[in-house]
Amino acid sequence: MGNNLINENYIKLEQDIHSQDELFEAVANLAIEQNIATNKADIIAGLKKRESESTTGFQDGFAIPHTQLNTIAHPSILVITTKNELEWNSMDGKPANFFIVLLIPKDQAGSTHIQALSAVSKMLIHSNNRESLKNSTKASDIYQLLQDFVN
Amino acid sequence: MSKVKIIAATGCPTGIAHTFMAEEALKVAAKNLGVDIKVETHGQVGVENELTKQDIIEADGVILAADKDVNPSRFQGKPTIQVSVAKGIHEAEKLIQQIIDGKATVYKAKKSDVSNNDEDENATSGKNKFLHSIYTHLMNGVSHMLPFVVGGGVLIAISFLFGIHSADPEHSSYNEFAALLKNVGGLGFSLMVPVLAAFIADSIAKRPGMVVGFIGGLIANDGGAGFLGGIAAGFIAGYIIVLLMKLLEGMPKSLNGLKSIFLYPVIGIFLIGVIMTLLVEPMTAINEGMKTFLGNFQDSNPIVLGLIVGAMSAFDMGGPVNKAAYVTGTALLGEGNYFFMAGVSAACITPPLITAFATVFFKKHFNQAERNAGGVNFILGATHITEGAIPFAAKNPIVVIPILMIGSSISAILTYMMKVQVPAPHGGFLVLPVVTGAFQWVFAILVGSLVGAFLYGYYKKRANNK
Repeated sequence: MGNNLINENYIKLEQDIHSQDELFEAVANLAIEQNIATNKADIIAGLKKRESESTTGFQDGFAIPHTQLNTIAHPSILVITTKNELEWNSMDGKPANFFIVLLIPKDQAGSTHIQALSAVSKMLIHSNNRESLKNSTKASDIYQLLQDFVN
Repeated sequence: MSKVKIIAATGCPTGIAHTFMAEEALKVAAKNLGVDIKVETHGQVGVENELTKQDIIEADGVILAADKDVNPSRFQGKPTIQVSVAKGIHEAEKLIQQIIDGKATVYKAKKSDVSNNDEDENATSGKNKFLHSIYTHLMNGVSHMLPFVVGGGVLIAISFLFGIHSADPEHSSYNEFAALLKNVGGLGFSLMVPVLAAFIADSIAKRPGMVVGFIGGLIANDGGAGFLGGIAAGFIAGYIIVLLMKLLEGMPKSLNGLKSIFLYPVIGIFLIGVIMTLLVEPMTAINEGMKTFLGNFQDSNPIVLGLIVGAMSAFDMGGPVNKAAYVTGTALLGEGNYFFMAGVSAACITPPLITAFATVFFKKHFNQAERNAGGVNFILGATHITEGAIPFAAKNPIVVIPILMIGSSISAILTYMMKVQVPAPHGGFLVLPVVTGAFQWVFAILVGSLVGAFLYGYYKKRANNK
């Protein structure tokens, strides 16, 4: 599947971000810039809403914020890592700095894309995958790693 | 000892990330601990890798890691651990270890359950498996019957708005559309008992049971045996097939097709036909007997009469006993006795209202389907459509019917004490303009309904807290 779920431009490393609000702001900006979505406020609200239901923070600094909206054009995986660790209410109680953001259009229910997105969350369970992602210093490496799981 | 087998169900609100993370985490943990696991996921794409009945039977334990309804009642009686999806992800090994160590508690529904599943109430532990299986079968019948009751009942109620006699071509208020509503609504009602029986049997013996149950239910319905007759038909039909399956076990596998398409339906329908025909035969006699019995009390004091009329009307809601009261009422109307019918009507209106009020006042002890049906029962009760209470009663007849009988009796007693006169045989509150003592009548019915509602709600509360 020659998908456009992810590309190197969707990956921003070592960002200067200090709070959840700032992170969502950055996600929304990136999504607009990359023509993934059309409404910035929508994305921020969607991500916040999901976060309020239960944390998306996982462990070892990983979190997977996600939302499903009408104003998202195509399913996408964005990656943002931050210089500082952010409080994310994670399962292991540690702050997060590695964010894999899943943006999903509302009408994509049941599509294969959803499975691809789920595959990304699944692979985080394996500590060696988390290691590899953490140790990647280049967007292209992360891209390659994620691409392998998605396909 | 064979390998420990664990089954699990995972789910989260969006169904995209955590559902599958929990699945993966549990699988990894199972592998590490050397146990078998099968994980059902309730994700965005629907339920995947669904657990079969066989899986559930064979499993040594169940892990439910979900923040949404994963239909937990299936696991009734199994050692089960219920946690949030987050714990499923983060503490997968710990959860599996708990199952291995036998530390999981046997699944019993709690009122804190997020589940909306009907079967949650009245949970019983492993020691009570038989009773529980009966309950599960009943529930399957009731949940399939419910839409027929609601759909049919509401259409009939709407037809009354055109006038109580609007469906009668002989009557001056005849309206074609009202007649259509009443007819199709009536069809819904006539399928109520067959569907109840069919799906009780379906729960016991799958499709072959369903077929036989349907026929049994039809006979019960036509024979005037009411919903209690339908329940009996459903169980008999189911166990007929179970028995046939046992008897035909020795047949070669190659004849399996013949069994399900020929032998089960032919023999099954024949047997249920014979049994149910014998069973409904005394119904007429019961009906007649009850009428005579009631006739003796016609002039007794209001308390005794109300007690009897109330208890009879709410006993089988459409069965021979209820009909005896109703028919006696209409016969007496013909003789110009408007007092008797007032009590019968009050007693018929009360059961649906009891369930309606109970679902309002004890909201959290009823699931969503029950609350919706309860709302509809305000309409059905107000229009004298007693059947609305059947889905509630059929879930646990032994407890619920007496409660309905108490409520109905109170309504009828008060009605008789206040000498209300109702000259119409049907229509409920729609006939209020012609009722003598309309205010007292509504008051009597409300009192009976509220008392019943509190008894019923209290029972549900206790059942759910058990």
